[in-house]
Amino acid sequence: MATDVLARNNVKVSGHGTRPMLFAHGFGCDQNMWRYVTPAFEDDYKVVLFDYVGSGRSDAAAYDKDRYSTLEGYAQDVLDVCHGLDLRDVIFVGHSVSSMIGILAANHEPERFARLILVGPSPRYINDAPDYVGGFERSDIEGLLETMDKNYIGWANYLAPAIMQNANRPELGKELTTSFCSTDPVVARQFAEATFYADNRSDLRAVTVPSLILQCSNDIVAPREVGEYLSRELPHSTIRYMQATGHCPHMSAPDETVALIKDYLVAH
Amino acid sequence: MKRWRSSRTTSLPIDARGTVDELLNTLPCGVLSFADDGMVVTVNATLCQMLGYDAGEMEGRHVEQLLTVAGRIFYQTHVFPMVRLHGKAEELFLLFRKKDGTDLGALANVARHERAGVAVNDCAVIEVRERRKYEDQLLRARRDADQANALLKTQAAELETQHRLLQDQAAELEAQSDELRMLNDELQVHSDELVQARQVAEEANRAKSQFLATMSHELRTPLNAIGGYVQLIELGIYGVVTDTQREALDRISRSQRHLLRLINDILNLARIEAGRVEYAVEDMLIANVLANVIPMIEPQMAAAGLTFESTVQPDCVARADQEKVQQVLINLLTNAVKFTTHGGTVSLSATRDEQTGRVMVAVRDTGVGVPADKLAAIFEPFVQVETTHSRRAEGSGLGLAISHDLARGMGGDLTVESEIGAGSTFTLILPLA
Repeated sequence: MATDVLARNNVKVSGHGTRPMLFAHGFGCDQNMWRYVTPAFEDDYKVVLFDYVGSGRSDAAAYDKDRYSTLEGYAQDVLDVCHGLDLRDVIFVGHSVSSMIGILAANHEPERFARLILVGPSPRYINDAPDYVGGFERSDIEGLLETMDKNYIGWANYLAPAIMQNANRPELGKELTTSFCSTDPVVARQFAEATFYADNRSDLRAVTVPSLILQCSNDIVAPREVGEYLSRELPHSTIRYMQATGHCPHMSAPDETVALIKDYLVAH
Repeated sequence: MKRWRSSRTTSLPIDARGTVDELLNTLPCGVLSFADDGMVVTVNATLCQMLGYDAGEMEGRHVEQLLTVAGRIFYQTHVFPMVRLHGKAEELFLLFRKKDGTDLGALANVARHERAGVAVNDCAVIEVRERRKYEDQLLRARRDADQANALLKTQAAELETQHRLLQDQAAELEAQSDELRMLNDELQVHSDELVQARQVAEEANRAKSQFLATMSHELRTPLNAIGGYVQLIELGIYGVVTDTQREALDRISRSQRHLLRLINDILNLARIEAGRVEYAVEDMLIANVLANVIPMIEPQMAAAGLTFESTVQPDCVARADQEKVQQVLINLLTNAVKFTTHGGTVSLSATRDEQTGRVMVAVRDTGVGVPADKLAAIFEPFVQVETTHSRRAEGSGLGLAISHDLARGMGGDLTVESEIGAGSTFTLILPLA
């Protein structure tokens, strides 16, 4: 069972420490997104990386439409990896949607988690007038799904196979199919729906594991209002506002990201 | 698409290199450079024209501001990570937002370059209108195909279920068929046995009839001799006959006649049953037949002290053998006389029934009647109703059997209704002419 999960979720373990840091990638990518950050923790921690089923180099055959139709299925992946490696006292680092996935997992087995590091988290992306600002209207999300369809049709399903048949440049096909972190349009679309139509506001109150919220500047996906909302609603949480702009500080500003995480871990 | 290269790799003079901006502005596609933080560094005139901005308005903006909201999410979740991790992304479909608020669908290639120690994302943009339409159609077609496929799968599953059901039914039918075949085989065996049994029975019957015919002939010859010699003795040819002797001769003569009648009847029955009787069927007026029969029976009626009545529908024409009909009616009337006590009534009626196409000739008496348990067997040979009546011994017990066979032989029938003490009705049924 353990080895099955390790293969299924393409689990990679590195580092010299014993205390586990479990890095969970966000929607649209895979564990590679952490590569500018994880080296900074390998001296002191056991660094665990994985891909959700359906993303990256996970076992696509293990994809179950029902299980992964909600974030609960992804939270089960996190717990499966924890069980597979018998991880305890886990520092969970989740980007974007993985913040909420980590919260769901921590609510299921709070004793397994020591800290939650939430990078660009949002409990709900769609506005809920009049009191809640998520940043998006439902039509925006529909536009995103359309844009994804257009790109996946060009990339993964249409262009890539044609290029892969090009004997002169076989490296092209490989590069293109791996360039989109998850190449299956059905999986990507379902993950997008599970992510952007989710509402995890009611799960926040039950969280007992202390957490760090990393709030970027000018983050279109997780605006400042959302970070402030979380800071109010999430028990035992600390919020840090970053200089980094955009939604991916671990890629655009890895040094700042590492420093803030280390600060938090030292202080707490 | 060929990547734009820095003019540093050329050996052109400085003045000529200064034309790079002019070169960029002549490109038929939009060109855009932005830093990792999203800030726009360079745009060419073509992109400004595509999006409706002045160059001054574009530079210093965040690249997200040039995209729709959906485009911004896509940029953050897909484009930026891809370019950051892989250094480039090709043929991206992006929704730009023009200055006037309308959307512009475009294909973009993005490549990440380091220039003077700063990472810059260079982006070439081509507007796509037709391709976008085709892609919309393609996506719609694929969704339709997926739906059709799902429907087909459902229908296939349903067909599979029905197929299995039919197979089960077929197996059941096969089993039933086997059972039926076995039953059929058994029936065939029984049928063969029955055919054999019937052949045996028919053979036995033919043998019996043959035996009876032969025996009757053999018996009649000595009886005729007995009768002849009694007559000769009675005539006194062998000497004077005393009264006592005459009485004895009379008894011998009566017994001889009775025996002869019995043998004749047996012979008749045997011939009928052996199928050797021929019927001369013709249209015959029942009234004519009765005109022959009634005078023959009236003396017996009178002698027995019986009242005789007859009612005949005038237009009763049957299709039958006149001689056989007479024979049957005489038998029925003789029986009526025999079994009806003094003062009783014997009545004869003939009617026709258009509906059934039959003529009915009924002989009714007010005699002793036939017990219900004997009625069914009354047309069997040698059956006689037990009675205290002295004249019982006179019959052979073959008359009704012969009459019944004759009636049926002419395509008619002979039926009986009776009540003990109240009398009997025998009805001869004949086909209407």
